[in-house]
Amino acid sequence: MREDACAAVLSGLTGATPLRLHNLLQERSAREALRAIESASIGTEVAPTDVLAEWQREINRVDMTAESARLDELDAHVSTLHDPVHPPQLISDIDPAPLLFRRGTLPDPSLVHVAVVGTRRASSIGREVARELGLGLAEAGFVVVSGLALGIDGEAHRGALLADAVPPLAVVGSGVDVVYPKRHRDLWEEVATVGALVSEAPLGGRPEPWRFPARNRLIAAFSDLLVVVESRHSGGSLLTVEQALRRDLQVMAVPGSVRNRAADGTNQLLVDGCAPARDVTDVLVALGLSEVAVATRRNEPEVGVPEPEAVGTGASPMHSAAGIGDSAAVVGRTAVVLDAVDDGPTSLDEVVDRSGLGVIEVYAHVEELVAAGLVVHDGSRVRRQY
Amino acid sequence: MLASVRSSTLDGIDGAVVDVEVHVTNGLPAFTIVGLPDASCREARDRVRAAIESSDLSWPMQRITVNLAPTCVRKVGAGLDVPIGLGILAASEQIPLESLADISAVGELGLDGSLRPVPGILPMVDVLETGRVIVAAADAGVAALGAGDRVRPVRRLRDIVDVVSDGLPWPHVEPPLHDDEIIDEPDLADVRGQASARWGLEIAAAGGHHLLLIGPPGGGKTMLARRLPGLLPDLSPEAARLVTRVHSAAAIRLPGTGLVRRPPFRAPHHSASMAALVGGGSGRVLPGEISVATEGVLFLDELGEFAPSVLDGLRQPLEEGVVRVARSGVMREHPANVLLVAAMNPCPCGEGGSVSCRCGPSSRLRYSRRISGPVLDRLDVMVHVDRPSPTALLDREPGEPSSVVAERVARVRELAASRGARTNAALNREQLEDAAPLDSEATDVLHQALVDGRLSARGAMRVRAVARTIRDLDDAGPAIRARDIYSAIGFRVRPPLGGCDA
Repeated sequence: MREDACAAVLSGLTGATPLRLHNLLQERSAREALRAIESASIGTEVAPTDVLAEWQREINRVDMTAESARLDELDAHVSTLHDPVHPPQLISDIDPAPLLFRRGTLPDPSLVHVAVVGTRRASSIGREVARELGLGLAEAGFVVVSGLALGIDGEAHRGALLADAVPPLAVVGSGVDVVYPKRHRDLWEEVATVGALVSEAPLGGRPEPWRFPARNRLIAAFSDLLVVVESRHSGGSLLTVEQALRRDLQVMAVPGSVRNRAADGTNQLLVDGCAPARDVTDVLVALGLSEVAVATRRNEPEVGVPEPEAVGTGASPMHSAAGIGDSAAVVGRTAVVLDAVDDGPTSLDEVVDRSGLGVIEVYAHVEELVAAGLVVHDGSRVRRQY
Repeated sequence: MLASVRSSTLDGIDGAVVDVEVHVTNGLPAFTIVGLPDASCREARDRVRAAIESSDLSWPMQRITVNLAPTCVRKVGAGLDVPIGLGILAASEQIPLESLADISAVGELGLDGSLRPVPGILPMVDVLETGRVIVAAADAGVAALGAGDRVRPVRRLRDIVDVVSDGLPWPHVEPPLHDDEIIDEPDLADVRGQASARWGLEIAAAGGHHLLLIGPPGGGKTMLARRLPGLLPDLSPEAARLVTRVHSAAAIRLPGTGLVRRPPFRAPHHSASMAALVGGGSGRVLPGEISVATEGVLFLDELGEFAPSVLDGLRQPLEEGVVRVARSGVMREHPANVLLVAAMNPCPCGEGGSVSCRCGPSSRLRYSRRISGPVLDRLDVMVHVDRPSPTALLDREPGEPSSVVAERVARVRELAASRGARTNAALNREQLEDAAPLDSEATDVLHQALVDGRLSARGAMRVRAVARTIRDLDDAGPAIRARDIYSAIGFRVRPPLGGCDA
């Protein structure tokens, strides 16, 4: 019997909570634990007798070779607290996770982990901020931890992958083989290949609602700092905040417009005394890096940050960090149009009004500015991009 | 005795000649219609009998057989009532047989012996190439478009009998009033603000580019779309005839003179079925809304609420300008040269994109999934229509009137015609190379947009055609400049339907 397959089976037992598994595996390997359950030699300090009896029945039905084959097929691994690769943060945690499925390679535990989380129903600006934070943090050499959910989480992962520097870590609520949400299939696979994707849920574990608070606790346990980009009034990200506070993590929140419902929760966090995170620099400063250090660190090739020249070909407008310099180069009527575009989303009719130019001309200049990466046009609104 | 009267029936949007043969012989009184009549045609017996008796004529108490030849064509509607009636009268020797030799007739009979108009009179008269054509008085105007002075409009069955048996002159029927001089097209001057949308309409009208209006409810999308036909030039004589034929076949009220001179505007409700939109029916093919709107504007309001399969059914007609509908035993090709205008909300709650949007990501995604990419891809000009600002609404100054815009539109359409296409949107790849050469800067811009993935290959072609229209509206210079391409791209940017996760 393979040790990892045994661990996989243990995780799938009915009522196998992290606490029970922790007690069970404290002094045994997974294989020994299975044998002990089979021979009914486990004490009630682990679980009540009826649960133990149920476990015994379930183990008798288990097909161990199928479980091993499934792990190999997925290229997934299971680690227990005895494993050297098991993340030390999870063993020392106040709610330890004794057992963890993973795909990909876990990041070096000595690297600083920053969680970037938020609502699934994010505003477009929220998504963009999440992506920029993911990108900036990964470029600066931090591990971006998030939950692969729709909205903010997914964007944070996307940004981190875009950096092509430190790969992100995804903590998911379903089994590592159950893609949830389905829309993130590509992202899921990319994170699992480039970075790491971990879960406490057994293989085939459905994304049941009760799994997500436990997942949020893992995100907090992994991280050294938590940034909430957007959260609704009583959003799930606030549970992650609670878990972070239990662990004395610093929590930062991205300020949002008071008219933005998706930012109600984050704005409340700011009122409650959270530090504001306006951009990556705020986060880096909170992590103890001075702005100067940030600037040099960003330009250090050995951190894995691509040279500005290498990305400056305009493949992604996000890379044109020198936006302000560029806008100085804009002259004539294009500059008039740029002046008419502000940071908030502006309708094109407003730009026409403000600039006093013709519609066709405004459309032309706006697209010119879009091509130069100075303005974003999403089809309904335009706004500045830096 | 045997009598034969020429008539015709409607087959899709075309007429088909039908010879009505009536045989009256001794035997038990009976009445049989053979030759593929539909239900309304089969009911002719009761109408014809009542009409004959109301006209002081007698119904022969004999065995009557009516054959509608050729038998392979399905006969629809009540247009064969009059020829059947005349045939019975001739076969029962109430009117002279030879008087029917150079007469054909199309019309429905009322129980009181009056003649009633029938749908599709123009295509039906079109195929009756010789002799006098008897039609209902109300059909006179339209029928004259097909048969000219051979048309003999008649009010009652009795009038025909008086002419053919008593040698009275054909009755004089007053032509219907010309009420089409009052063109009821709303004017752009009523629109306040909406600078982008005005240009969107103008570009769409001038270049024949399909238009997509996106915006929250109350922004004025429908109001704008209704002003599009007013920007289009009058129909050419051929187009007018075609549209009149289709409208006649689809039983749509025609203007008093009969000829449809203005581009039609059709706005089918979003519950429309595939058959209603592209055409169809059981056993026959009626023109659908896309054919009725041919040479005009087809407006699909609430695009997201149309059944996805129905929308996909529009792809081929939009591409080819004709719609081919097949039913068992029949295949018909109907015109479908429409300027498509679609309107939709950005998401189910309508506030999409703005911070007050209340839709979850999944409902937004579901909404955007209802519209197939290929259909959206065919809408070359997109404008976001916001609710107008209060200052714009209270502005007393009227906007530019439709007539001024229409002049510019007509000029661009003439340019397109000189390039050998109906509109700039219809220019094919080779014609575009000739008609819309790119200067070097424009080539770079288009190239960069392709490299950046902001345009697909197909999108780049469409942008080029729209850029041609934009330049035509500006100064009609020969080459496409970078700014024209940029503007065209600006009108092609789609809002993030369904959010950024999609």
